[in-house]
Amino acid sequence: MIMTKAPSAIGLAQSPFTVLSSCLCSLLLGIFCGCGGMNAGGGGAAATSSKPVIGVAFETLQTEFWVAGFAAIKAECARRGYDVVEVIADGDANRQLQQVKNLITRGVDGIILVPKDTKTCGPMIRAANEANIPIVLFNRPASIPALKTVAVVADNFTLSKQTGEYLIQQAKSLVKPVKTMVLLGDLADSNAIQRRDGFEEAVKEANKSGAEIEIVARIPTEWNQEKAQAGVVNALQATPDIQLIFTSSDFLLPSIVSALQAAGKYHPAGKPGHLLLGGFDGDATAYQMLKDGYLDATGVQDVYFEAQQCVQAIADLRAGKKVDGIIPDPGFVIQQQNLDERKAQMWGAQITAK
Amino acid sequence: MCVTLFVVSAGVTPGLMSRGNLVNVLSVAAPLLIVALGQMLVMISGGIDLSITATLAMASVCGSWLISDDGGWLAGAPWAALAACFIMPVVGACIGLGNGVCVAYLRMPPFIATLTSMMFLYGIANWATHSKNIGSLPESFIWLGTRPFAIAALALVLAAAAAFFLASTKYGRWLYALGQREQTALVSGVPVRVVQCGAYFLAGFMAGTAAIIYTAQLETGSPVLGKNLLLDVIGAVVIGGTSLFGGKGKVSWTLGGVLFIALLDNVLNLQNLSHFAVGMCKGVMILFAALLDSLRHRWSVE
Repeated sequence: MIMTKAPSAIGLAQSPFTVLSSCLCSLLLGIFCGCGGMNAGGGGAAATSSKPVIGVAFETLQTEFWVAGFAAIKAECARRGYDVVEVIADGDANRQLQQVKNLITRGVDGIILVPKDTKTCGPMIRAANEANIPIVLFNRPASIPALKTVAVVADNFTLSKQTGEYLIQQAKSLVKPVKTMVLLGDLADSNAIQRRDGFEEAVKEANKSGAEIEIVARIPTEWNQEKAQAGVVNALQATPDIQLIFTSSDFLLPSIVSALQAAGKYHPAGKPGHLLLGGFDGDATAYQMLKDGYLDATGVQDVYFEAQQCVQAIADLRAGKKVDGIIPDPGFVIQQQNLDERKAQMWGAQITAK
Repeated sequence: MCVTLFVVSAGVTPGLMSRGNLVNVLSVAAPLLIVALGQMLVMISGGIDLSITATLAMASVCGSWLISDDGGWLAGAPWAALAACFIMPVVGACIGLGNGVCVAYLRMPPFIATLTSMMFLYGIANWATHSKNIGSLPESFIWLGTRPFAIAALALVLAAAAAFFLASTKYGRWLYALGQREQTALVSGVPVRVVQCGAYFLAGFMAGTAAIIYTAQLETGSPVLGKNLLLDVIGAVVIGGTSLFGGKGKVSWTLGGVLFIALLDNVLNLQNLSHFAVGMCKGVMILFAALLDSLRHRWSVE
């Protein structure tokens, strides 16, 4: 009985709701669209305005670095009089593919992309290539040689190596062997691999000349703060006499700090018990910690240079000029001694200043 | 509802009607429809499958690991693409069967059974791949990802099959009966356990099939595939009108819900709304649909 009655009962119950809900949904949508139109200066910019439109597709805005990069790109576009259409994929490669396709459909004049990793961006770059839209990768390169693209990337390897060399230099007076902990990033991200390799290269070279740096813990964080914190806590438990810590990104510093504080090992440089601490990125936390003496050095990616180069590359490609596949950002190591002199180029310091 | 959305938004959204954009919407909607159909079957039975996106990820990883040119077992084999198209639904179906056994025979609440299997599956997928995506898939496999109409056809065939299955088979009627009132169904002689287990099995199979499309579209197998898709899937089914309380639901409704979600996403994107506004807007819509569902449920009970 139930079985035969079910479908018709449902059909009847549904209809007034369908009408009601469709009306309300369209109302809601209308409101949202209205707001969007006002905020964005009209979604129709791509179709009507004569200004060039740059699509900016970021994988995430979850760390300060990407937020700063995003702001720097928008500022650079504004300076040149370009309009910007922004899309954020929230860590979802599939969504990013759809977003890039949407940008292409809208007919943007260029795309600046931060892919999730070196592989998933393949279909996005191919789609842009097929549509003849210049596409430039910000800070993360692609690993698909067959496709036409330009990537503006920090020289992760050299910069981490230089940071490592500075830390090892500072470690000279410490008890040997110098037990060292390294926090690794997501190893699907070529930047993370190069930072690890750069630091390890510095260790290898120093050990040849008798520095006795011993890496006792390599913590796979997958760019996740909780994992980093748990890893540091465990490593400090297993090896309480760790004297040097290098993190592949400054955004993991708060995790390290809280683990060190819990272990009673968080002291500024010059005080007994100070652990040598080095990082990469140059964010606001790193700047503050450098100022307060808790952080010894960090490799700074020059976000402003990278943003400027991205937009420049799009302009050059549109003008039909030839652009190198990789535009390197040399970056610089910032430490206690050169802090005042170089903080103007350190994006973390600029965020703090604002 | 979809038509209303389309008409209202077409006026204020430039580029919505363009052919390229509609093809984009289609390539988003088709795999979503396949996943949503599976979720719908589970929801008609009165359950919910939260592990459906983890099933996607697991199937994607298994299939692409097998055929990747970076050391997969079947690397270079001419039938590698076919093997992947076979293995992904099989992996999905096995996972679904596991969920079904937990819910139907071990009497675990669907929410907790599938939530834990979601954590477990994402855990395995990330552990096995070291969180890396699996690339270098053969061209013959990727081919499917670049054919939106083939994908849409596949989704429609599955939808038609599901519609036939629900409307014209004994199992379909049992499924509705189970979702409406389990005790009554049991007394009327419905093999409740088998039917319930079967719903999860089919959901897993559908997710595995959708994994083929997602993997081919992205050209990589990903251990985090679909991590943000769960709300879209459940949202599409609920907006379509399938009841969260079980016993109600139709393929045509789900098709409408999927098109609505895909269009909504597209329109909000084309409107140049910030990423946070898109999330808020979708959240409000789904909340609203769920609210209507519970009102309808209360009224029909009264």
